[in-house]
Amino acid sequence: MVLELVPRPAGLKQIIDESVDVKSFVFEFTDGSKLNSLPGQFVEVSMPGVGESTFAVSRLEDGCRRFHVSVKRMGHVTKALHRSAVGETIFVRGPYGKPFPVADWKGRDILIVGGGIGLAPLRPVVDHILANRRDYGKLDILFGARTPGDMIFRTDLEAWGKNPGIKLVKTIDVECVDWDGCVGLLPNVVKQQVYKPDGRIAVVCGPPVMIRFTMAALKELGWPDQQVYTTLEMKMQCGIGQCGRCNIGGKYVCKDGPVFRLDQITPNVI
Amino acid sequence: MAGWKKLAKSDLPAFLAELASQAELVVPQEKNGKTRFLPLDSARPISFPSSLVDVSLKSVFFPKRRPVARFGEKGDSPSEQRIECAAVQSPFSPRIVMGAHPCDVSAVNYVDRVFVHSAFKDPLYEAERNRTTIIGMACSEMKPECHCTDRDLSPDNERGMDAVFVEAGDGYLFRAVTDKGAAVLKSGLLKETSDEPAKRDWPRGKYPVSPESIVQSPSSSEADPFWQEVADLCLTCGACTFACPTCTCFLVSDERHDGAGERVTAWDSCQFSGYSRMSGGHNPRKTKSARVRNRMLDKFVYTVEKYGATSCVGCGRCAIICPVGRHFPREIAALSRGLSPLSSEENGDCTRSKRGLPPLSSDENGGCTRSPRTR
Repeated sequence: MVLELVPRPAGLKQIIDESVDVKSFVFEFTDGSKLNSLPGQFVEVSMPGVGESTFAVSRLEDGCRRFHVSVKRMGHVTKALHRSAVGETIFVRGPYGKPFPVADWKGRDILIVGGGIGLAPLRPVVDHILANRRDYGKLDILFGARTPGDMIFRTDLEAWGKNPGIKLVKTIDVECVDWDGCVGLLPNVVKQQVYKPDGRIAVVCGPPVMIRFTMAALKELGWPDQQVYTTLEMKMQCGIGQCGRCNIGGKYVCKDGPVFRLDQITPNVI
Repeated sequence: MAGWKKLAKSDLPAFLAELASQAELVVPQEKNGKTRFLPLDSARPISFPSSLVDVSLKSVFFPKRRPVARFGEKGDSPSEQRIECAAVQSPFSPRIVMGAHPCDVSAVNYVDRVFVHSAFKDPLYEAERNRTTIIGMACSEMKPECHCTDRDLSPDNERGMDAVFVEAGDGYLFRAVTDKGAAVLKSGLLKETSDEPAKRDWPRGKYPVSPESIVQSPSSSEADPFWQEVADLCLTCGACTFACPTCTCFLVSDERHDGAGERVTAWDSCQFSGYSRMSGGHNPRKTKSARVRNRMLDKFVYTVEKYGATSCVGCGRCAIICPVGRHFPREIAALSRGLSPLSSEENGDCTRSKRGLPPLSSDENGGCTRSPRTR
């Protein structure tokens, strides 16, 4: 019997600079095993001696043998990760949590709304849709960052922008030179773009305040809760519903989430 | 179920010695002025408290600090350094816990829901459970803060015990509850008897609570002044959570010494301000009132949703240990009745009028104005 809290060694294969303070770390487990992660699931990444933090899996490659986590420099674990180099061994456990029910969304139009690092857990959803393009309808992606320098996944944004099957809208909080996208906070841009519910699925992730106001904007546009999904951020440590800290009422975000359909969470939560 | 057997009080030391020869024996003993569960030590006098051991049983199965992995660095030059995590092995030698009261045993049963009856079992915890035979002890009295009878338990409840014993006159009566329990009651010192423990009618109604009425209580909402009243008293020291036999929240922490170190789980408290604070500074429960509310609702509402059971066993340790006189059982009973959290028999403000609610009939008011003892 394995103690779930003990992580497995993973080699750091590549580091991608995503923005001024976000890097993506690309791992492969040392024993060659796959990370059987579904879109929306997360892992716990360890720097032994420093600590462990929770990150969404932001991309799977090579038949799940390679996986990305995209990390914003914030606390001591993320700072230590940002100092690490290709070739180092880092420790990982997971995947954990309930994924996005992408199979249930077949045949429907999808709206992705990501704010800042909140795009990380949503990118596997986009990857899944693009890999199974005929299973899904129209794909809208709305991505917002504070400044152009905070835009992550630039290569993807460029590719998505050129993809005729995707309608991409990028926005920054405050106007600035050499910016050709929208300007404005995400909830306002959601209203400006007048995204209609029409049987569509909305998937929203970003800072808590962005999620709250984006939900309100969607509600204003007539979106029923049953068509809106989010993935919530909460302080987590064990990732398996035992350490206690990530509860929202009687649900653990790590175990019962992090993906929730809006009607599955109490209104005062977000 | 097997019948009762009698042990003469004079034979107790010999019986304990027999048990200790079969397995590691853990019994309540006094250390630093408090009774607690410790491996039998002949230097300490044995006394089985008639009710409630001061420090709960949970640390026997879930220690306050518990290494789960070790890491070290290999290789001489820094570039060859490797860090390895290895699971800590758990001991499998048999152990007997004797003298745990119904509240503590029931609490361990609840904790099983978190660590054993879970999608991810905790093998360290499970090994500690499996290697242990519990000879529980029926209480012969209820102490002032005891209210297990209001929590679907009683001082003679055998739930979760492998065997049970009770003080009876000049001896103790023992009975096996499970096969595991029967295996440790084979001693020749235990004599067949027709004696049975006296049936008693235990008082109830001191701090009655119904999860449904808590959910329906207008005070349960976040904005209700109830929570601020509680928070104004609270120090958020976490003592109630550490004393509670069913509180098992923990943090995962790396302790490093010269490159090598251990990853440990350590008891944590949902009452601490940093408990749910994220590295970006966002804290979903940044106010004291939000944290005391989360804990009180967790015990009676959230755990029902999570594990199908409330998680208060009525031991009263939270009230006993609180340095500022917060009285969780009274507060939760008041919440359940739509009263002010400070309602009590002592200050006589147990009226709904204080909160703008109509008075209850004397029947409903039951345990709040009078303790069951004086009725």
